[in-house]
Amino acid sequence: MSNPINSRSSLVYLAAMLVTLLTFPLIWLGGLVTTHDAGMAVPDWPGTFGYNLFLYPISAWLYGPFDLFVEHGHRQLAAVVGLFAIVLCVIAYRNETRHWVVKVCFLFLAAIIAQGVLGGVRVLLDARTIAMIHGCSGPLVFALGSFIAMATSKRWHLASPTVGSNRLGRVAIVLLTLSVSQLFVGAHLRHSLPAWLPAFFMSLVHTHLLMASLILIAVFYIAVLVRNSANSANRELRTPSNALLVIVAMQILLGFATWIANYATPWVELTPWLAKYTVQGKGFWESMIITGHQATGSLLIVCSLWLACRSYRRLPVGQSVASLSTELEPAVRKAFRPESVRVGVE
Amino acid sequence: MFSKQIPLLNSKFLVLFAIWASAFFCGCAPQEMQFRPNELHVASLSQDSTHPEITELAKSASERVDALFGKPDSPKWPSEIANVVDMSKVKRSAGPVGRDKFKVEYGLFRKHCVQCHGTTGDGQGPVSALLAPYPRDFRRGSFKFKSTPIGKKPTHVDLVRTLENGLPGTAMPAFGTLNRSAEFAEDVDALAHYVRYLSIRGEVERRLISAIIDLEDAAAQALAIASKVAENWSLADSQSVKSPTLVTVWTPEAQSAAIERGREVFLSELTACTKCHGKLADGKGTSQDFDEWTKDWTIRAGIDPSKKAEWKPMKRFGALKPVLDSPRNLTLGAFRGGEMRADIYLRIVLGIEGSPMPAIARKENDNPGITEEGIRDLVEYVFSLSNPLLSSAGTTNDKGGEHEQSN
Repeated sequence: MSNPINSRSSLVYLAAMLVTLLTFPLIWLGGLVTTHDAGMAVPDWPGTFGYNLFLYPISAWLYGPFDLFVEHGHRQLAAVVGLFAIVLCVIAYRNETRHWVVKVCFLFLAAIIAQGVLGGVRVLLDARTIAMIHGCSGPLVFALGSFIAMATSKRWHLASPTVGSNRLGRVAIVLLTLSVSQLFVGAHLRHSLPAWLPAFFMSLVHTHLLMASLILIAVFYIAVLVRNSANSANRELRTPSNALLVIVAMQILLGFATWIANYATPWVELTPWLAKYTVQGKGFWESMIITGHQATGSLLIVCSLWLACRSYRRLPVGQSVASLSTELEPAVRKAFRPESVRVGVE
Repeated sequence: MFSKQIPLLNSKFLVLFAIWASAFFCGCAPQEMQFRPNELHVASLSQDSTHPEITELAKSASERVDALFGKPDSPKWPSEIANVVDMSKVKRSAGPVGRDKFKVEYGLFRKHCVQCHGTTGDGQGPVSALLAPYPRDFRRGSFKFKSTPIGKKPTHVDLVRTLENGLPGTAMPAFGTLNRSAEFAEDVDALAHYVRYLSIRGEVERRLISAIIDLEDAAAQALAIASKVAENWSLADSQSVKSPTLVTVWTPEAQSAAIERGREVFLSELTACTKCHGKLADGKGTSQDFDEWTKDWTIRAGIDPSKKAEWKPMKRFGALKPVLDSPRNLTLGAFRGGEMRADIYLRIVLGIEGSPMPAIARKENDNPGITEEGIRDLVEYVFSLSNPLLSSAGTTNDKGGEHEQSN
């Protein structure tokens, strides 16, 4: 039996996981920047009030205005993610045997740099439109990092491309497309320009609601598909599907909460609580809800991608990563030794 | 074998990236914001939405007003008229959002208010059409919750109060949290000055449009109009009404009696409260009306706001769909002008400007009306509607009878 994970490097996987896990809080911080309109809290770039990014006094950062705290924190974390992306590229370049994966790692690094430049240009030009583009591309970079983690995982190596009809995979791709489009619409709503006409904003809100409904339908359809006869043997498909159900439920709740936190509700006299509810301008919980809605949106994209990857590369029927790993244990142990990786490369 | 050439960093890629980036950023640089000309007012005064000169006339008036008051990024104040705003605070609130090199924050209005109220303060921000009630259009110079009579300008404290406390059940947030934090201590005050600035600018523009339509010499009129509007604002403090000290701790018997008397006042034909608020004070009266902001461009322009075919042509000038001004359900205890007895007293005595809620008719000499005692009983009745248990026990959750304002 051929050894499917002989050439796998767990180091690349760990580096990809680390950089991906760091990217998610970066998206949160970016969301907070938008929520608090803190994009111009630091008027210069790449420095901070004339200081080098890493040399800005910690006391001025921590005890300064909140918008400055958020914006400078976002920049610092972005720089750290950039450094880890370089480390990922070096590790992948040295250890990864698949050329395309290395390319994707470098593409990820380029995307991180482009994101940084985009953020910088947004500050230098004080352009809200660029902030919107920056906000749209952030979750895509997160998804790219997640894809590297998926592609370097043990499961990817043990799985094989799906043969024959794959309706689940196609629906997952549709869901991924919908989620990305929804992200774009959401970013428009978050970065709306003062000169926009009310009718345009209203059409964006309606589009956002329509797409949310389509996403909900797609997620339910996926939940049915992973349990039908064609896919029921692949129990591992249920994990991303269940995650999608949870995320979509959270998103719907967060979406309603976001509207109420921003603008109260049009049905004010429904209950005394709604009638008395007063929106808190830049309140803590309001900010967390609004930012949470945006950050969970990026999780929806990653989860759709996860499901797509699992449905296009499947494990043998009835097998799991654990059972296959036990079967291939001697080979796996050999594969994890650095010298065996180098032999595999050369 | 695996090539050691670093992918994606070759010259071809970099050139392509540079071309893409140039195209990408082309047109992204921000342009200077402009105040939106008041085409809706021109259209409603001309009573002809198809008039070919509406846009031109509105633009001409707006330019004249800009010459006096500047633009959203560079506001100014005519030196010839009374200085009723603090221009240093107006400048802090104006312009794009951000901090300068001294960490002073600018663009407060665009940060906190513009999404609903719009750059011009016309209540036509991007979100406005989806809100209920619609955001306030400052350009009429009318404000609902204030301590001055109908037709008078609000005091600075009135504006600060609304900014700090927000309006429950609406999209108007409470910025009290900002004011409590040291770094934002002056933000709310600065915003109140900017609201005053926008309101004056907008009202001058409206009056100038009327002057132009009446074929008056607009150029000569602009400064005189601005002077008059500013003078009205300068009188606000002297016109402010203070709530008297109201009883807040009652014996159960005295409170029950006051509530019963207040109920009679509420149900009386003289006050006509039930016409809008209903006999149960649940807001289900028979009278239905629009607010003054809507009547401005509908009824006064000969348009029936209930007929879509009539008002729809005005949408292109920025009109939002007319919505009936729903009377408050008093049993919910959500009083937008404040929930204390003193606040309720002012709403009854002063009315709510721009809404169908009138000031109560007071008994003076031989004129029929409600006595001061009757008004106080009415306050107690309205207060008890949302505090039934507390009022029956003869206690109160009111933090004090004195109005919190320090006019």
